[in-house]
Amino acid sequence: MSVNLDEGNLKDGLLGLVVALVEIIQELLERQALRRMESGSLSDCEIERLGEALSELTEALAKIKADNNIEDAVQLVRTDLDLAAEDLIDKFLNPASWNEENQKEES
Amino acid sequence: MQSEARYLYSVARTGQESRLGSIGIQKNDVYIVPYKDIAAIVHACEAKPYHTEDKKLAEDWVLEHSYVIDQATKMFGTVLPFSFDVIIKGDDDAVVDWLCRDYEKLAGELLRMQGTAEYSIQIYCDHSCLETLVLAHNQELGDLKSRIEKEPKGKAYLLKRNLDLKLKDLTYSEAGKLAEQFFSEIKPLAEELKAAGKSSWTPDKFKDKRLLVTFCCRVSDEAVKKLGEVLEEINGKEGFYVRFTGPWAPFSFVCLSGAG
Repeated sequence: MSVNLDEGNLKDGLLGLVVALVEIIQELLERQALRRMESGSLSDCEIERLGEALSELTEALAKIKADNNIEDAVQLVRTDLDLAAEDLIDKFLNPASWNEENQKEES
Repeated sequence: MQSEARYLYSVARTGQESRLGSIGIQKNDVYIVPYKDIAAIVHACEAKPYHTEDKKLAEDWVLEHSYVIDQATKMFGTVLPFSFDVIIKGDDDAVVDWLCRDYEKLAGELLRMQGTAEYSIQIYCDHSCLETLVLAHNQELGDLKSRIEKEPKGKAYLLKRNLDLKLKDLTYSEAGKLAEQFFSEIKPLAEELKAAGKSSWTPDKFKDKRLLVTFCCRVSDEAVKKLGEVLEEINGKEGFYVRFTGPWAPFSFVCLSGAG
């Protein structure tokens, strides 16, 4: 597979990758916040502060994406990561397909 | 060119020697090498694989390869198709030797494939349509949605995310259930059916849709009409789209392990 790189798409690609990773970390933080909220370990005040901070982060990321026109680049990175993760999960859940793949490569 | 090998397109049920004309890869003369009541469909070539860096030329070769298989299917009924670039070293006698050696397996597979063809079924869905469906039938999510409107900004944001995540999980789960349901509706109509891997290519028409499932099936000529009706019914459901392609030679179902 060939990769075409010039100054423009390298910058977009890197920024897209960084934003995609920040989005994923943010989602993990959100899941953690939701777990704590549902378990009752956060006060109303803490829930509000946490919610506002995460909401502001979402808005900031949306602005960065719009300002740099990298919505598609971020989506592409996320789709690729999703596919890679799905593939990995499939191999764990279905080791037979992994063996078949290995045998194909060896033959 | 020294024709020291034979390029193999398919194996068909016929015992007659004949020529299919210059329809092969690079207009090679395609002909039939029979053994008993089966035959290999070949052209004479050098004993080296077809290889090019030219993508367009490679695509043309693959299309020409498929064309020969299609023509052979029209002439002899279902054939055992071979993938691109299968070459038997030696002359026609070497081909006959191979047919003789693997006769039982080849003839058996031809019999098993007789009167059937391969079809591909892709079922796409409109993700937002599926989400709406899930939301409409889930009381917990409905309650959560109405709570969001009454909460202050920070908490409302977290509840909205909670709603999004739960909706996403339930939508995936619903999609899985539907895929299983479609599988069970299609299975009785197919001689063989398997869920196929994701295709790297999506037609423009379905670019904004989500691929729910891809099935690869071998269907008898008699059952194709009924299968079409079942797929038409799925296609008629709101938010679902079916792409049904074929008939193809049964590439995914011919089993020749141990042959060769």
